[in-house]
Amino acid sequence: MALPLALVSCGSDETPADPADLGTLTLMIPLLSGDAAAPAVDSDMHKAVEALTGKKLQITWVPNSNYGDRMNVTLASDDLPEVMVVQGKLPAFVQSAEAGAFWNLTGKLDAYPNLKTENKQIELNSSINGQVYGVYRRRDPMRAAVIVRKDWLAKLGLKMPQTVDDLYNVAKAFTENDPDGNGKKDTYGLIVPKWPGVYATASPYDVIETWYGAPNGWGERNGKLVPGFDTPEFLEANRFVKKMVTEGLINPDFATLDSAKWDQQFFTGKGGIIVDVSSRAGVLTRLFKEKDAATYANFVDLTGNLTGPSGKKNSYPTVGFNGFLSISKQSVPTEAELKDVLTVLDKLSSKEGQILLNNGFEGKNFTVQDGYALGKDATVPAIKTITNDVMSFAQLGTASNGYVAYVSLPAGQFERQQYEQRVKFHKADEASAIHNPAQAIVSKTQVAKGAQLDQIIADARIKFLAGQINEAVLKAEIQRWYTQGGQDIVNEMNEQYAKIKK
Amino acid sequence: MAVNRNTPAGRVFDAVNTLVLVAVGVVMLLPFIYVTAGSFARESELAERSFFLWPRDVVTDTYEYIFATNTFLRSLIITVLVTAVGMVIQVLLTFTMAYPLARRHLPGRNLLLGMVVLTLVFSGGLIPTYLIVRELGMLDSYWALILPLAINPFFLILVKNFFQELPEELQEAAQIDGCTELGVFWRIVLPLSKPILATMGLFYAVAIWNDFMSPLLYIDDSTKWTLQMFVRQVTVSSDMANTVGQLDPNYIPPEQGLKFAVIVIATLPILLLYPFLQRHFAKGILLGSVKG
Amino acid sequence: MGKARLSTRLIRYRWLLVLLLPGLAYFVVFKYAPMYGVTIAFQDYLPFLGFDGSPWVGFKHFETLFSSPDFPRVLGNTLILALLNAVFVFPAPIVVALMLNELRVSILKRAIQSAIYIPYFLSWTIVAALTYLLFALDTGPITVLMNDLFGERFDFLADPDWFRPLVILQTLWKEVGWGTIIYLAALAGVDSNLYEAARIDGASRWKQMWHVTLPGIRSTIIVMAILQAGNLLDSKFEQIYLLTNSLNRSVAEVFDTYVYFLGITQGAYSYSTAVGLFKAVVGVALIYGVNWLARRFGHSGLF
Repeated sequence: MALPLALVSCGSDETPADPADLGTLTLMIPLLSGDAAAPAVDSDMHKAVEALTGKKLQITWVPNSNYGDRMNVTLASDDLPEVMVVQGKLPAFVQSAEAGAFWNLTGKLDAYPNLKTENKQIELNSSINGQVYGVYRRRDPMRAAVIVRKDWLAKLGLKMPQTVDDLYNVAKAFTENDPDGNGKKDTYGLIVPKWPGVYATASPYDVIETWYGAPNGWGERNGKLVPGFDTPEFLEANRFVKKMVTEGLINPDFATLDSAKWDQQFFTGKGGIIVDVSSRAGVLTRLFKEKDAATYANFVDLTGNLTGPSGKKNSYPTVGFNGFLSISKQSVPTEAELKDVLTVLDKLSSKEGQILLNNGFEGKNFTVQDGYALGKDATVPAIKTITNDVMSFAQLGTASNGYVAYVSLPAGQFERQQYEQRVKFHKADEASAIHNPAQAIVSKTQVAKGAQLDQIIADARIKFLAGQINEAVLKAEIQRWYTQGGQDIVNEMNEQYAKIKK
Repeated sequence: MAVNRNTPAGRVFDAVNTLVLVAVGVVMLLPFIYVTAGSFARESELAERSFFLWPRDVVTDTYEYIFATNTFLRSLIITVLVTAVGMVIQVLLTFTMAYPLARRHLPGRNLLLGMVVLTLVFSGGLIPTYLIVRELGMLDSYWALILPLAINPFFLILVKNFFQELPEELQEAAQIDGCTELGVFWRIVLPLSKPILATMGLFYAVAIWNDFMSPLLYIDDSTKWTLQMFVRQVTVSSDMANTVGQLDPNYIPPEQGLKFAVIVIATLPILLLYPFLQRHFAKGILLGSVKG
Repeated sequence: MGKARLSTRLIRYRWLLVLLLPGLAYFVVFKYAPMYGVTIAFQDYLPFLGFDGSPWVGFKHFETLFSSPDFPRVLGNTLILALLNAVFVFPAPIVVALMLNELRVSILKRAIQSAIYIPYFLSWTIVAALTYLLFALDTGPITVLMNDLFGERFDFLADPDWFRPLVILQTLWKEVGWGTIIYLAALAGVDSNLYEAARIDGASRWKQMWHVTLPGIRSTIIVMAILQAGNLLDSKFEQIYLLTNSLNRSVAEVFDTYVYFLGITQGAYSYSTAVGLFKAVVGVALIYGVNWLARRFGHSGLF
């Protein structure tokens, strides 16, 4: 064993990313570009970001699918990039942060005009038990939508649903009244795909439960935090969904429908309603447009959250952020250097920085019209390259000070109208958002067992809806969640919750 | 020999055998044809039709785009070179190690074999291997794509087994005729090993070609990426990004047609290797006459 | 050749030993030097703290594994799948290789060989997408066919009883063609004089196959069997993961998917390493076991 250990022991002669070099900034960023290539070092975007920040950038782009693997070896290598995109409160990150791998930025960000948060709630959500370990990357706080086949509504003389009862009625009509007019009963209402996530992962089930008044993930009941599935509203909502399943208003293969085919079902007219984020409406519209640019405006309509049976509207929000930028303590050892790095991040989140990261170059790859950024013809390779590079660099954008860049829209009057419709109901729904009060809380047992325990709930829910288990067994499964470790999570959550609330 | 061939039973057997194999071949070929056809189809057609062998409108946007940027071409060249060089090194290392191990009286043979067998199932894992590669200064170098995987113990044992099958008398006879051990290896054994040499060449080439983990972990500089990074980026990232709650609003998934085109381009070159190597399989039959 | 003295043997084999050195160096540096990594199974490992800094916890993770309520189910699922693989997947390439060997039209033979190895290059994501397409409830072509044939409503994707057949079918489709290559190489080495002799004796083609071809590739078959025994508890993570859903999870969860949840999504490096170590120990035992069996029946085995 002596030889191997000697081989791997870290010699003192090696030089990790030269922490003293203030002229260069090292970063690690997931590559999400829809295209394959990472931005080149001599690309317009790379050079522009260097010019803006006054730093030479040394960026490690990592394919998004395996970002986690790469992050693990990087954490182990004592050769951390100065700034790292962290894609969420993954256990590996939480444990490392608490062990001192990253700067604790609590209270430090307010000194920077473009890093000071516009929304304290989101900053808290992004924190680990109240401690901020990164500049969060802002996302729209409300995105839930109901997307409906407009032509089917018109054919059957129906209106857009506003309540869950409407949802049921429209779904029933879509199933039984031959909305596609082919004389066959071959359509159904709501399309639900196989959901890869567990409980409380923005599935259509989670959204409908919230409409019924169930907590979003966790909720406060009688001053205590309880998991959302242990509430009467959870059961009521699932009884409702089950009724729809039983009556054939939901695709019978909801447990197995390939999620990559979700759009296809809507596009080809197998089903007529989707409950998901509103941006899916844009994806669908694009498909209809490619098929027939003359009539594409007649197929997709959408609205926001629906009113529950009690007559009260409970909207399903997002967490408001998607991971954060964290700064390594090892590569950025001193407060002075930290200040330097934060100044760079501050510049990136200024109006100029946000426009560069999110839109690109005005006149080159987009034009501004009525405050919107309209992309130029993306079939021209040079423009497409910029567009892709922008999409990659957008991962570096935080906008925790608020989004001040242009909203990118595809060309077209209908697209614009649809976008404005989305913004309107998102804004309206924010007032009734049901936030997860436990968002900031990280419990030890949850880190260790949470994902597996939540699988119990997700599976039991699907089995209940499929009619494989009855309500008594569903309740028993919820009890199993408690006995296999859930009770510890509840206790730890409440303990932390009490601390944070103070 | 004509007897068996022409009996009615023999002919029925041949007919059935041919039919079954052709059917199997078609079943295995169709999906790739679909992927190819899909790479020339429009998005709305891909969304509408689940399966087709010829697109309604043939469009070539995806290919035009892929070849308009030089990144793809560059990584294709890199992949071909790394695969070619890597294959030679890996085959060489495997054969030179397998040959001595095939000799029953080699001192320490059982110990060494035991050591090899253990690595079939035990591995130190991702992180320690990464640290070694880093200590050796191979990060961001193409060697990191070749050397850490230089010998696959599975393949090593297959080759060793093959050598063991060769008649030992043959080698001893050659030695008596004045050949050195290395001379025997070079002049007698290798020429007899064409089928296994071709097989290992193919196995190693395909393994490097398809390797995704090594470039992911060891190559920071995206100008040095191999094709699999692109394939993975286009085909998998989007699916994983779709995992719920993760779907970034800023993220536009790659077009299905682009995915297919990338798969086609990244698969075709390596697919062509096999038909090329096939003739070496036939040549091995000569071995029989030597043995007899 | 008798057992010569060690020093004599060292001298006699000196060039061969030199030949061995580069390979040996490889194993030491890239296989054995990182082996200390298995110790994290006995730690609460955290990459940031490293191998020196992470606390030692002894057999904690093994205790957790063996006492976990999931353990018997996961082990059972893994074993059943391994058994099915051994029975259906392992012999398939041999059969196909023998069939190809009987094919006399050489162009056709090469064309089919090339066609059947293509699926190996398609990712599991694509295989899964095709499976979902073909076996979709009520609409998949195979589902429709089966429904009509048997007058039942098949739910291949959700029904736990169909999970394993689907996995086996997928594996067969994707890997049989690739698997034939090694056997075709072995078949190329079968002495053609033996066929000649058999034909003169009037042996039928079945007899030739049985008495000439099969013995000719027997040692390859045995080595493949031994090598694959070592990976008995391995499943193809992506394949299983993509085919799993809430309704079939009870039969679908195997060690590799189980570890994924713990290792990747929960950062339990140590626990997943412990599971890996358990699998490896079983693998080594199986390799030696099958090897012993092979030798017992008079074959040469691995070593």
